[in-house]
Parts: sequence; C-alpha cells; structure tokens
Amino acid sequence: MSSALLRNLTIVSVFLLLLGGGPATTSYAGNETRTLKIADGRGDWGYPNPFLHYPRGVGYIRMSWVFDTLVWKDESGFIPALAQEWSYDPEHLAFTFKLNPKARWHDGEPLTAADVVFTVAYFQKHPYHWVMLDHVKEAKAIDRHTVTIFLTRPYAPFISNIGGIMPILPRHIWQEVSDPRNFNEPSAFIGSGPYVFKNFDQARGSYLYEAFADYYQGRPTAERLIYLRAGQPLVALTGGQADLANIRPEMAAQLRQRGFEIISDQRGWNKKLMINHRRAPFNERKFRQALAHAIDRREIIDRAHRGFGAPASYGLLSVDHPMYNPDTPDYPTDQAKARQLLEHLGYRADAQGYYHRDGRPLKVELLASTITAAGETAADRDGEVIRRQLNAVGIRVELVNLEQATTDSRVRNWQFDLALSGHGGIGGDPLILVEMISGEVGAGSVNSARFDDNPELARLLREQMTAMDPDERRRLVHRIQELHALEVPAIPLYYPDSLAAYQPAKGVRWFFTPGGIGKGVPIPQNKVSLLP
Amino acid sequence: MNTRHQPLYAYLLAALVMVGLSYGLPLLLPGDYIEAVYGSSQVVLDAEQEAQLRQELGGRKGFAAHLWGLVTLDWGHSLALQTPVSRLVLEALPWTLLLLGTAHLLALVLGFIAGVEAAWRRGGRLEKAGVGGATMLQGVPEIGSGVLLLLLFAYHLGWFPAGGATTAYAELSGGPWLLDVLHHLALPLLTLVLAYLPGNFLLTRAGMVMILGSPYLETARAKGLPPLRVRYVHAARNALLPVLTRFGLRLAFMITGALVVETIFAYPGLGTLLFTAIGSRDLPVIQAVVLLAALLMLLINLGLALLHRRLDPRIGHAL
Repeated sequence: MSSALLRNLTIVSVFLLLLGGGPATTSYAGNETRTLKIADGRGDWGYPNPFLHYPRGVGYIRMSWVFDTLVWKDESGFIPALAQEWSYDPEHLAFTFKLNPKARWHDGEPLTAADVVFTVAYFQKHPYHWVMLDHVKEAKAIDRHTVTIFLTRPYAPFISNIGGIMPILPRHIWQEVSDPRNFNEPSAFIGSGPYVFKNFDQARGSYLYEAFADYYQGRPTAERLIYLRAGQPLVALTGGQADLANIRPEMAAQLRQRGFEIISDQRGWNKKLMINHRRAPFNERKFRQALAHAIDRREIIDRAHRGFGAPASYGLLSVDHPMYNPDTPDYPTDQAKARQLLEHLGYRADAQGYYHRDGRPLKVELLASTITAAGETAADRDGEVIRRQLNAVGIRVELVNLEQATTDSRVRNWQFDLALSGHGGIGGDPLILVEMISGEVGAGSVNSARFDDNPELARLLREQMTAMDPDERRRLVHRIQELHALEVPAIPLYYPDSLAAYQPAKGVRWFFTPGGIGKGVPIPQNKVSLLP
Repeated sequence: MNTRHQPLYAYLLAALVMVGLSYGLPLLLPGDYIEAVYGSSQVVLDAEQEAQLRQELGGRKGFAAHLWGLVTLDWGHSLALQTPVSRLVLEALPWTLLLLGTAHLLALVLGFIAGVEAAWRRGGRLEKAGVGGATMLQGVPEIGSGVLLLLLFAYHLGWFPAGGATTAYAELSGGPWLLDVLHHLALPLLTLVLAYLPGNFLLTRAGMVMILGSPYLETARAKGLPPLRVRYVHAARNALLPVLTRFGLRLAFMITGALVVETIFAYPGLGTLLFTAIGSRDLPVIQAVVLLAALLMLLINLGLALLHRRLDPRIGHAL
C-alpha cells in the first residue's frame, strides 16, 4: 500500500509540477529572520534528546539544536564547539579537551568538565547508540574546564564519531535518572545548544525551538525555529509556509528562476544492490561479478532518475571522500563478459538465451521498495530497469515490490536473493566501511553486506579502526576499497543528486556539510547556519 | 433467547472477534519495531545492544494482558514516542472526524439534492451534463484529484496551505483560529467531497428515476400536492435508503479511507497515525487504531440496521 501510494504520488506530482508554469511566490516583507520554518514529509522524528529521538539522521538533527557536542563540523571540517581546543597523547591513548568557559546549560547552570566525565560514564551504563564507547576506558576532569578521555586501544574515528557526535548531558539533571528511555520531563531537554526545546506536537509532527540568549557562541540569528510536516515539502516552500526543504533535482531550474537558492550535496548517499552471498549461486564471487557487469548503472540513472545521479564506486566509499581510491576496480557494462562468467560457472543458455545449470533454470528474486533518504521517502523504477538488464544476459528475475519494513525484515533474516537498498555515511569517517561490510559489526543493519568471507578484508577493516596515523589509515582504506570491489558482496549502484532549496530573503545561508553532519547525515540543517 | 435481541448478540460476538483480530493480525507483519526503525538507520547495533534495547522497550503483551488493558482503558505506550496510545489516538481522532465527517455529510446532502433534482429534470441538458460529469469524476482516484488540487491551489495559485490542520505555532484563538482551521481543511475536504459526491448523486438519481414512474406518485400529484412535497416527501424518501446505506458503509471505512488524503495533505488524523505506525511497526498504536476502526465499523453497521428499521418497517420484520 505504502509503496504504491508513494510511487503514484511522486509520479503525479512531478509530472504536474513540470507541466505547470511557476509557483505562486510569497513576498517577504523585510528581512524576516525572527522565525524560520523547515518542512519535511514525515514530521515526527521523536523527542529531541539522545534517548528519545528516532535513530535516523533526521532525529539526530532535531536533537542537535538542543544538545552540543565537544567538536562540530562546518564546510571546512572539524571546528570547536563545547571544546575550544583538543589534543591527542598517543603514549597514554588520551584525548584532552579544553572546554569553553562561557558554556551554560539552558537552565543557567555552568557547563564544566564534570558534565563531560558524567556523560561518558552515563553512556557507558546507558548506551546512546549513535556513539560507540567500546574503545573508551574513562574520562577524567583535569580542572574545571579541562577533561581527558582515555582509550583502551587506539581508535581512529574518535574525533568524528565520539567528539563530534556525543551530546553532552547536564550532570545535575541526569544523575538522578535511572531509566532514560522513560524520562521525558521538561528537564530532559535542557542542553547547552543554541536552541531551547519548547514543544513537539506528536499528532501534527511539528517542533518549536527558541533561541538560547546565553549561548556561548552568541545568540542565534533566528528567534524561533519551527519544523512542520508537509505532504509535499516543495509546495510548502513555494507557498511560504516553509523556508527550507529538500527538492527533487528536476525542480531546481524552475525554483532558481523564482529566486530560491539551490544547494547540492556531495555524493554521500548510495543506492545499492544487496546480494545474499550466503546462498547459491550468489556465494560465488564470479557470479556476483557477472551481476556487476550485467547491470548498466548509467541506464538506471537515465531511465529511472532522468539522469540526475552518478554511478557509485564499487569500493563503497564516496568518490568525494578524501580517502577514495581512484584505482578501485571497475565493472564496465559488458553483457558478453557477464555471460562468459556465467558459462565459466557451468551455466548453459537455452534457445531463448536464459541460463540453466544442473537442469535448473537460473531464476532469482529481486526485492524493491521505497527507500527513505535524508528523511524523505521516494519511489523509483530501479527494480524494473535491473530486471530487464539481468533478463538480457539470461538471468530470469522475479521483481517483488514490498513495503520497506517488510523488505528490511527479509534482508536482515537472509530471506532474499537480491534487494534494493541504500544508505548514507559514505562521505564520512571510514568507520562506515566496517559497519556496512563486516558481519561482526553490521549484524543489526539491513544495509550492511555482513560479509566476512575474505580474511584480508576482515583484517584490514579491523586494522584501519586503530590506525591513528592518517597516511597509514589511507593506505588501509584504499586496499579495503579494492577488496570490496573485487568481492562485490553488495553492488554500489549510484549516488542520486541530493538538492535542497531555501528562501534567501530570510537572511540565512544553509549548506550541506561535507561528509554529512555527525555520522554522515546528508541534510543541510547545520546549526552553524544560525550562529551569529 | 429473545429473537428481538439476536442481532445485538451477533454484533457483540463480532466485536469480540474484532478484538482478537486487531491483536493478532498486526503481529503477522514481518519485522518488529527494532528491525524497522534501527535496521536501516545510521545506528548499527550488535546482538548484545539489540537484546538490551528489546528489554528496555518491554516485551510484547500477551492477549490476556491486552484484553485487560482494553477493559481498564490502558492501551499501552507507543514504542516510538513512549507516549500513551490513548493520547495519540485522542489527539488524532478529532481531525479525522472533522475531515471525514464533514466530507461525508456534505457529499451526502449535496449528492442527494443534486440526484433528486437531476432525476426530476430527466432528459434535460443539465441532467445529462451532471450524469456525464459525475461518472467521469467517479473514475478519478483521490490520489489524482488530491495532488491536482494541491498543485493548482497551493503550488500555482498559492491560495491554500500545502498541508497540516493549522498553522504551526501561530498562537491563534477564536475566529482567526477557526478561519485557519477552515483554510487548511478546504483542499482535503474538497478532494474527499469530489470522491464521495458522484456516487451519491448517481445512486439517488437512479433510485429517483425508478420511483418517479410509480403510481403512488401519480396519486400524490393528482391530489394537487405541491411539486416540492411530492419530490422530497413522497419520492425522495424512498430513494434515500440506498444512499444512506452507502453513506454508512463509506463512513465505516472512515479511518482507513482517510489514509490517502491525510497523507497527501499531511493532515494529522488517524490515517496518518496508522500509516506512520505501520512503517515503524509500532504495534500498540497499530492494534489500537485497527481495533478502533473495526469497532467503529460495527457500530455504524448496527446504527444503519436500526435506522433502516425505522425508515422501512418491512426491514424490521427481517431483522
């Protein structure tokens, strides 16, 4: 029901939007920066604190306005947040952070090193799943505004995935809380971020935040920040009900003409084809390679996405990533090569060109569903195009369109042959490679290939996590990409163009954060945009 | 057993079956909350973390506990929002009632009057145009007309908001608040009226056309009764029965019927609540909304049976 509904909605609306002239534009009287409104299709992403926000990136962003981290990111990379400066002592495996003495909690209490020490200990006892503290031994306050976090072993993603993600909790509130998932008193939302949480309307999917006047980096530029649910965020944007929304690439030119600012993301999200490599014939590497040769990714982009996208690297890490390996093996579309590989595996074609082996036809099932990216759900025809392409090399494909949660459940439980999926984070820390390849780490993720059959790949994935020297890590990550491309435990298909539009008359410049916010969230709602 | 009360027992039995189904059917959905919400998120859980999370969220309620919860009005907590389900349902229900209730009533009244008038003017240009237009409109799904209206009146003309039930955090009250509600209601309401009205119109017209040739109407006319009285009191009353049945059946699907339109216009009703809950496998919410929808359908069916008995005494003997 849901996928059919969304597909129809998307097709009808895009057609009509393109058909019609321009939208009615709303004129802004003066520079109205008092209230900013952001629209998205779902609205409800949970209460904005670490234990209650939904685990997707959109939920994290909702929380990031209220809770600050030690380090943050802007367009240039890591920047100070609660920590003014930081250093690493390899001898003691310790990161030391100097906190900003001006930092205050929303209730006026000062933020100190004791809060950071408390937060680490609290998350070790009550895990916040966005932050893995397996490598952290403990945190110690050196003085009122200096804190050192000791590791049990080197951990290369520390700054990006702990310092840059872990929201700091106020000790004076949370020290009394033993059941954080059932704690949603007003004090559960006292943070040190630029905005104070005021309201979450569950039925309407709307949020209200107000500027924190005593914010240590200066009073935010917009007094009120509102999130609202809109069936069609684009219509909310052009109608003046919202100031920022994700848009479909085909709308960009028309919106630019109407005075909207259009921004585009790096290639940090990829659609991919999950392969059940635990089941024959997909457990044979050559068969997976044959699939890679048979699938024309450019055609998928052209036919199903009007050309708005780019083929993805078979190494999984984004081509825009600083550690991308340009020598990653490629699989040019080559039907003859695909057939040759299949015949090498003992398959024989019948009169219609379809393959058989041991008297059984080569027939596979392909699961497709709507995929949620950056908080928006969109339907596409990728499955239909892939079915046709595999049919053309002699593989019979049964395409099954399912609701996303059903597909996810089947993939997770290995009850599938092939499935379309997708995830972000490939422009962020290379930790994503471990999560999306390793079966040990990625067991709970439906996007992870969970592939441990190549011992060298498994070893390198572990080693790069502890490589504190960037050059050494780059070398390991390059080799991982080569091995991923060689094994193709899942096939990275393409990076869809990811765009957003905003109303410049509001005086705020939104931007996509390179590598994504926090753990690679590809959404242009960085709180830096609203800082003075 | 008193035969007069037999239908009531049947409805009671059906209600009990519904309670069982509303508990059991959502359990058959593949996957669970953790899989649906965490499985494709940025969070990658290992087996131990997943087990701990399941423990924190609490196990699945058994049927006995579920039944006891219904009796004591404790419908459990939403897994996603950690909020009582009853609160979520009660927040969403008024919006669904407002949207669907108004749409059904408007479609009934307008469709009925238009149907009666068209049949009265049978063969005229207006009647032909009405029948043609209604037949065409009946073939347009809500998803098509809804998106079309949204793009025309919200995107191109900018007359109506893109979605929602009110302007978020506008802090309005009294008259301005009411206007704001109506402003947001207009497009989803129009979509639904366009979907429901043609059927009512065609049904009434067809019924009236058959009735208009009846001898008893000739008698009424011969007695010199005013045409309006003949049309509505004598003829239309008998054409009302099938329209009311249709009204009831459509109303019974109020919750699930609203799903498409509520999704298009991000209207905060039960359809949106159910849609979101299914996507995240929030079982307590799904079970509550499904049960509410089922009981509402039973209640409306019962109401219709009783109404029919009043409108047509012959049915009373059959019941």
